[in-house]
This record gives sequence, structure tokens and C-alpha cells, in this order.
Amino acid sequence: MSVRVINSAEFNDSIKTGVSVVDFNAKWCGPCRMLGPVLEKLSGEMADVRFYAVDVDEDPDVAEQFHITSIPYVAVFRDGQKVAENVGFIPEPAMKAFIQQNI
Amino acid sequence: MRYDIAIIGTGPAGVSAALTAKNRNKNFLLIGSRSGSEKIRKTHMVLNYPGLPDVSGEALNQAFLDQLQDAGIGITDKRVANVYAMDGYFTLQVDRDFIEASTVILTTGTSFGRPLPGENENLGRGVSYCATCDAPLYKGKETVVVGYSPKEEAEAAFLSETCSKVTYIPMYKGKVRLPESVEVISGRPVSVEKADGKMRLNLAPFAGAEGEERHIDASCIFLLRESVAPDKLVPGLQLDGNHVKTDRSMATNLPGLFAAGDLTGLPYQISKAAGEGNIAAISAAQYLDKRK
Repeated sequence: MSVRVINSAEFNDSIKTGVSVVDFNAKWCGPCRMLGPVLEKLSGEMADVRFYAVDVDEDPDVAEQFHITSIPYVAVFRDGQKVAENVGFIPEPAMKAFIQQNI
Repeated sequence: MRYDIAIIGTGPAGVSAALTAKNRNKNFLLIGSRSGSEKIRKTHMVLNYPGLPDVSGEALNQAFLDQLQDAGIGITDKRVANVYAMDGYFTLQVDRDFIEASTVILTTGTSFGRPLPGENENLGRGVSYCATCDAPLYKGKETVVVGYSPKEEAEAAFLSETCSKVTYIPMYKGKVRLPESVEVISGRPVSVEKADGKMRLNLAPFAGAEGEERHIDASCIFLLRESVAPDKLVPGLQLDGNHVKTDRSMATNLPGLFAAGDLTGLPYQISKAAGEGNIAAISAAQYLDKRK
């Protein structure tokens, strides 16, 4: 599996069921570019979790919905509800642990 | 181009690490203040530094700087905003550039300041340490910048190009050079809190000054200090209280990242820092050699 880029129209349906991880990022954000490959790698390792990415410049309404004030911002959703969030870059082992403890 | 070692900090630990790294023929970058250690410079007399009995702090600091110069080791006088642990290397955000290094030695000392009440809770949610990182998120919004040194004026100026309004609060004396659009006010930050859907910075007058307590509300409050606490500087870094946890080889929980000097804990002594800097550089060199 890999990280699928989604827009605001697809957002609600994408996270509606199961466990999803959403990466809120932007093209100008350095740490976002570094976190991207980490999530890509984890998406291949964690088969039961779906991974998505939202560009906050292209889809600001989704970003507004979650009052995102700093990126990268990674949120874990379970059946449509946000259960956890992490702001900023964290190394791969820490990101894996963060997702696993919120599955 | 990826450096073998990035050494952050130019106090005795950083200087010692750099001299040892040079000895080991490693390709390294020494990042920090070109004036060395402010702490040592301000010390009247140092009585227990081996080899230099009863030396003034100023002379000792200068001796460190002179030795670096004689060894042909330059200092990159920039600020490291973040160190990101990647897969087998590190990416450092240095002012507005990103540089890569296979190993990092942190010797940033203990002068990162105590957080304001409300600061940690709101970090990333309306409080930020990096104007360069977050400026685009506040396009057309109002922000406040608390600058702890004149270097931060450039950050406030940068923000004023994107934000609708920037208010600057200098925590130092002297003339402030900023674009006209930036409002400069005087006050001592007391706390930070969420209020009316915005971030509120509560201010008190400086000691001995007239005035009442007041507050400013904004979309984001940038607290720009000289240095950042190590776990904020390096996400994922394990601390032991306020210090960075290391083993006797100066290794931290992040493979390839080492720490030395006051940053690793007591006692805060110059010879201890120099010793740890030396060990950290040798450990980094061994780590690199093992991977070849």
C-alpha cells in the first residue's frame, strides 16, 4: 500500500470506516517533505491502516476543520473520528509507535 | 553533499569535538556563535582548567577560538532550528537551508530558557519557535514576535511580508531595526494562553518601569530565543530531566547522534565539557568507520 493524496471532496468518505492516517502537508514545508517518505514506508508495513495525504494550500477547508496551525500534522482516525494527532516531524520509530498505539 | 559530522555549539565541548574530528580526518561542519562561549567569556577567573592555571574566562574563550583558527577550522555562525533523524543520516535546518550529516554532535549547553506558563501546552497550536517554518500558515493574519536577540529582527521582517500585522517585543536593549509596518512594543512576557479563539500573550512592565499588565491577541505567538530546548530541537531525542540522556560514549537514543558538555548534565565544568566533546567525536568517528 502507499499514501494516497486526497482532496476535501473525498475526505469524509475516505476516513469513514476503519483506521486511517492523514498527513496534512504543504509543498513549501521542509519537514513535511522529510516526513513523506517515512509515512510512505510505514504504509507499506502497516497493512491494516490506510494512509492519506492532504495539501493544506490546495484544500484549506479541511485544514480549517481541524484548526491546523502547524505542519506537518498527522492525525489518526477511527471510523470517522479523530483519535490522535501529532504535530511536527518525528523520526520513523516514533511515528510507527504513535500510529500503533492509536490503532 | 553530506557531511560526516555536524557539530552544533561552539563552547568547550564543541571546540574539543571539532579538534578531535579534524584529527580523525572527518569532513565536518562546526555551527554556532563565532564568539565562542558567552558563559566562559563572562566568567572572571577559571582556576581548575588543566594546563591553564588562573586564566580569565575571556582569555580561555579566546584561546579556544585561536586554536580553532590555527587548525583551519571555520565556524558557521548560523542558527540550527531543527535536527531531523532520517534513515541513516540527519537533516538539519540551518537558518533557511537544509544540510545533511551522517552524524551529529550536540553541544548546545543549557541556556535555553525556562518556558512561559502555557508555552509547552500550546506549542504547535498557536505558539511557534520558527518563523521561517510557519510564516505561510499565517498569511493575512496577525502575529506577535518576542525576539530575544537582535538576530530575530530579520525573522519579524520576514513575517511582515506575509502577515497582515506583526507586533515585535524586543527582550534586549538597543535600537531595533524593523520595517515601519511592524509595531514595536515594550513589555515582559508573563504567560501564554488561548483566549477568544486566539492566542493571548500576557505582558507585564519591565522591573522599574511604569505601566500596567496588558495582553496582545494574535493568531500565532513566535517565541524566538537564542537556543531551543534539546527535545524540541531534535524530535525523538530522549531526555533525562532537562538534560540529554547519554551513555559513557556520549551516544543518545538516536543512533549517530551524540551529546556533550553542560547539555548532558552536571557538573557544569569546562574540563568536563572538553572531555565529553573529545569522546563524542571519537564515538562519531568510530560509528562512521564501522559503516564503511
